[in-house]
Amino acid sequence: MRFILVDKILELEPGKRITATKVLPASEELFRDHFPGFPVVPGVLLTEMMAQAAGRCLDAEGTHPGRAMLGKINGASFHEWVKPDQAILLHATITQNRSTYATADCFAEVAGKKVCSAGLFFVFAPHEQFASGYQDEILLAYWKANPGKQPKAI
Amino acid sequence: MTQTEAMAWIAQVFEMTPDQLTPDTHRENVAAWDSLGALTLMASLDSDFGIVLTDDDIQTVKTVGDLLDVMRRHGKLV
Repeated sequence: MRFILVDKILELEPGKRITATKVLPASEELFRDHFPGFPVVPGVLLTEMMAQAAGRCLDAEGTHPGRAMLGKINGASFHEWVKPDQAILLHATITQNRSTYATADCFAEVAGKKVCSAGLFFVFAPHEQFASGYQDEILLAYWKANPGKQPKAI
Repeated sequence: MTQTEAMAWIAQVFEMTPDQLTPDTHRENVAAWDSLGALTLMASLDSDFGIVLTDDDIQTVKTVGDLLDVMRRHGKLV
């Protein structure tokens, strides 16, 4: 399993808000263990999905000294089971956006029903720490589909 | 805000109880006051009191008393 937990960005206001989607197919090996006969998407993965969506919202702005990384989960709640193959809609609103940290209020929904929510805290890891020439394929796909929305800094 | 209330707020930021802190408590003696903790503190000062500190500002805050002084200077502590 790759650790890209956002399939597609649907709406994006860089540095402010994002809506994205993710589906975890029933063929993923993790569902054999979580749980036998009762496959559900782990809460930690739902949290990571929200974090990856929010992180891309921050990275899309292109103004921070590095890439957004999850630093702290201020709180997370899980309200409904999420089954394999269900389309998960991820929402994040950036509530604080400073040069060295950011916070986001996030939630995920399935079929119009809120399944989980989290308050997340981000720090920024210097770009030099990542592979040379690294570019986020999910953001690139969004910019390709929406060329007029790409900030000049990217 | 009184000093007692401010101490309770600081303790909550660092996930401690107020009786574990005094104005003389040094950041080195607060487990959660590491680099991430300093950023969390900056974010909490911003969201709860509208106090925006720079990286340089936060580096000068070495004790709980220094933090109380910051809050006092910004009129949040009587």
